[in-house]
Amino acid sequence: MKATFRIWRQDTPNGQGGFKDYEVDGLNADMSFLEALDHLNEILVLRNEKVVAFEYDCREGICGQCGVYINGRAHGPHENITTCQLHMRSFEDGATIVIEPWRADAFPIIKDLIVDRSAFDRIIEQGGYISAKTGTAPEANAIPIGKEISDRAMDAAACIGCGACVATCKNASAALFTSAKINHLNSLPQGQPEAHKRVLEMTAQMEKEGFGHCTFTGACEVECPEGISIVNIAEMNARYLKAKLFS
Amino acid sequence: MRLDAKIPEGKLEEKWRNYQIKSKLINPANKKKLNVIVVGSGLSGAGAAATLAELGYDVQCFCYQDSARRAHSVAAQGGINAAKNYQHDGDSVWRMFHDTLKGGDFRSREANTYRLAELSAPLIDHFTQQGVPFAREYGGVLVNRSFGGVQVQRTFYARGQTGQQLLLAAYSQLYKMIRAKKVTMLPRTEMLDLVVVDGKAKGIIARDLVSGEIKRYAADAVVLATGGYSRVFRLSTLAIGCNGSAIWKAHKKGALFAAPSFTQIHPTALPQSSEAQSKLTLMSESLRNDGRIWVPTAKGDSRKAEDIPEEERDYYLERRYPSFGNLAPRDIASRAAKERIDAGHGVGRLKNAVYLDFKHSIERLGLETIKDRYGNLFKMYRKITGVDAYKEPMQISPAAHFSMGGLWVDYELMTTIPGLYAIGECNFSDHGANRLGANSLLQASVDGYFILPNTINNYLASEIKQASVSADHPAFAEAEKDVKEHIARILSIEGSKTVDHFHRELGKVMWQECAMSRSKVGLEKAIHQLNEIKEDFWQTVKVTGHDQELNTELEKALRLADFIELGLLMCTDALQREESCGAHFREEYQTEDGEAVRVDDNYAYVSAWEYTDSGFQLHKEKLEFEFVKPTVRSYK
Amino acid sequence: MELFFRKSIIAATGLFLCIFLIVHLSANCILLLPEDIARELYNSYSTTLRENPLIKLVAYALYLSIILHVVYALLVTLRNRKAKPTKYALNHSNENSSWASQNMGLIGIFILLFIVVHLANFWARIKLGMGEAVGTDAFGYVDVYEVTSSLFHNIYYVIFYSLLMIPLGLHLHHGLKSAFKTLGFYHKSGLDLLAEVAVVYAAIMSIGFGVIPFIVYFK
Repeated sequence: MKATFRIWRQDTPNGQGGFKDYEVDGLNADMSFLEALDHLNEILVLRNEKVVAFEYDCREGICGQCGVYINGRAHGPHENITTCQLHMRSFEDGATIVIEPWRADAFPIIKDLIVDRSAFDRIIEQGGYISAKTGTAPEANAIPIGKEISDRAMDAAACIGCGACVATCKNASAALFTSAKINHLNSLPQGQPEAHKRVLEMTAQMEKEGFGHCTFTGACEVECPEGISIVNIAEMNARYLKAKLFS
Repeated sequence: MRLDAKIPEGKLEEKWRNYQIKSKLINPANKKKLNVIVVGSGLSGAGAAATLAELGYDVQCFCYQDSARRAHSVAAQGGINAAKNYQHDGDSVWRMFHDTLKGGDFRSREANTYRLAELSAPLIDHFTQQGVPFAREYGGVLVNRSFGGVQVQRTFYARGQTGQQLLLAAYSQLYKMIRAKKVTMLPRTEMLDLVVVDGKAKGIIARDLVSGEIKRYAADAVVLATGGYSRVFRLSTLAIGCNGSAIWKAHKKGALFAAPSFTQIHPTALPQSSEAQSKLTLMSESLRNDGRIWVPTAKGDSRKAEDIPEEERDYYLERRYPSFGNLAPRDIASRAAKERIDAGHGVGRLKNAVYLDFKHSIERLGLETIKDRYGNLFKMYRKITGVDAYKEPMQISPAAHFSMGGLWVDYELMTTIPGLYAIGECNFSDHGANRLGANSLLQASVDGYFILPNTINNYLASEIKQASVSADHPAFAEAEKDVKEHIARILSIEGSKTVDHFHRELGKVMWQECAMSRSKVGLEKAIHQLNEIKEDFWQTVKVTGHDQELNTELEKALRLADFIELGLLMCTDALQREESCGAHFREEYQTEDGEAVRVDDNYAYVSAWEYTDSGFQLHKEKLEFEFVKPTVRSYK
Repeated sequence: MELFFRKSIIAATGLFLCIFLIVHLSANCILLLPEDIARELYNSYSTTLRENPLIKLVAYALYLSIILHVVYALLVTLRNRKAKPTKYALNHSNENSSWASQNMGLIGIFILLFIVVHLANFWARIKLGMGEAVGTDAFGYVDVYEVTSSLFHNIYYVIFYSLLMIPLGLHLHHGLKSAFKTLGFYHKSGLDLLAEVAVVYAAIMSIGFGVIPFIVYFK
């Protein structure tokens, strides 16, 4: 199988970038998309060229590290997957595949297809936790939590922090990511004491990082590998309003 | 060298308490003056870094990924064991300890294993308080399921994301302490060497993976929490970045490496589909509850599965292990699959898989029941292979999964270098020769949250009296120089083969000779081949780009250079252990019908290897079984 | 603060305008009656509106809403552009979201253009006395009906008024759903219902407003 990869190459964060075409032969349909890039990189090494820098780690759709814009879609042409779960059989033989890094002011490019998503970590730092020191916890079954509440918390908690929501959002909004974490923690009894503080501080950080407004296009929930619903954003807005009024 | 495991006095259930009573303490004002380096931000690393910071230490935490949340703890699907006895089914700390010790085929310490079981209950309390959304009953209490063939239900889980949810809890606790300015997080920073001053671990040399800069970091103690090294097989269920470099550097600086060859091979991964494949995805073991494993009776049968009649199918697990059948333990199921594949009965394009068939279950239970039980997994299977497993059988294959071996540690989790600790999968401790399902998240967490923060003070209490070593110490300069030379040497080879080429070569040898089934002849051949690969690597590898930039090829090359050496040690270890135990199966030591033969008289010890100029030197820590008498594992 | 405040202003003003449109369309329906009845009813209705102090207050709220809606939409757009300074070379956003949701600003510009023309046609003539003077009907009411009727006997205006109801429909459909979520309505089945209501509402508004000019034209 053959393909032409049209890849964004950029050597340094502030450098000038541009697309470069690479014709690659010897691919097969069972290869994952990242393996096809591995294959390209081996060819580049043997041609004495610098390899394409791209990110990955687990390659089983759970770590959230891989993420590029492929043919006009975050994580490629399918819904609710990560880049590592995309396979070459999704493309036609001889296709030209356009690969770009995530684009957002809050996700500056480091090199080629690698961006800096540390803004997400800083949002978590502002309250994406429950303050309880190791050793201070009560008996686990001492606080019963209904299955429905627990299941909803789990739905939100499933976020893997890949950044596809920001990447696909025309406004580069981080509302889906931030709301998922807030709703996970604020819906549990353990998260109540810090609930108002959490929603105010995490959203303040989200704003500080330079993400845009959520305009509910719904693109994020389609590209989210965990299928996290945008209803979470509405819920965050409600929690925000409540926090503003009652804290 | 005499290996002292420092097992505390007393009855099994009193040892940890006795240890804590006698352990030295440090007053809070002094803790502030002490600095600890934690390498790795997975469940054990993040848990340790956060807890140490809560206790008052200054912590620097390193990871090679872009964020602390990526560590491969996220991938554990099944769950975490704890002896809570919530199901009222007769579980207890003792039973859990016994299951773990027996599952490990009596090649771990009683005291360590007991402590693992003992601390499992408060760990669940901790994670629940951190907001982990464990599965619950309608009434609001926690649910358990059974796992890994034990007779009680003690596994807690959060859908198929238990590892992810536990790591997120640890990561968020870590970020709470980062906000409190007690932890400095250094993502995209990889440890390349350990700095030892006057025989004690005092810091590390690390590379900033973005700028390429080599930097020195000094501390009063160093904790390694760098995970497993099964990427030595190249194809494994591990993340691509997982590596053995940190522990290998520590080993070369004097830390003994224990039972390096004990590697768990998981039976239900997806098979390799091409040479270019980089990863074998794990399918949950739970599939074996309703799936039947078979291969065609005829060798090289290339008919489609549906065209092979029932009488020409060999349900080999049911045939060999009538009482456990498809639910035989991981090591046994993996070995049986390899035996059939090697005998020419493998299926799939590369003839490297066996069938996992749900046809009978669907007929018996109905499609809806199977969908309800395994819907996600079938969906995942389809995502990866494009095949609908409701219509045709899955193809599965064994894959390297977990390293029971690792740096030798004592009861305090300290290595043989004072001030250097190893926690989580990178140490050798509680699993012996085989790990039970849902015990890995447990061990990583217990090490990081509960054990290390209680033992490190015993060492640091004496360090407080001495001035801290600064990064200007000559030992740092020397280590930095070595690292830079090592990098320069790799870049200067400018050969003709890629790093991945050598990794594939290494993987093939290791998989063939040092995985599920090992033999003297094979291991000797492997050692010879690995030496050739090593020599070839240092003459013909090619890495493009330079060192003062983000260079993923260079990162891979540095890790691979260590993997090759580690592979040599693994083969050496497997060669010396002339018995079959747990995941370590020596072909020479089996019964007539192919079952493992353990040789307790000669091999009831932990092999601990010292790195010397003249080769690897073996030390033995004899395992004493004071409380449980070793028995033979049988699954017939 | 900014992220929530701005969007909430847009949502709240938007919802207010949505309610206004219902009232407006109901009034427009008078135009469908036979001419003599329609003229009297329409003119008396508009006079009442102009003279009632409470309605005056609502009218000011209306002007303010339009201005705030536009100004904050502009601020939101500016911030969003800053958040995404580089666009993708290839972007298939139509595969994961509706065209309207991706282009509310552009659609808004068309609606704003419409509002300007609409105000010039009616408000400027009737309230500000600009352009051709407006007469009175047999009952002494200002003859707004005549203004409307004569305007909609010009085929160009008819086409303009009808055509621009298409962007209005698209804007209302996305806007209504989005506004509720922005203001924190997160009831799952409520939102499902809202999605259906939004389709019906947007269809009624755009078809209703869009068809009336033609009916008047052919009357």
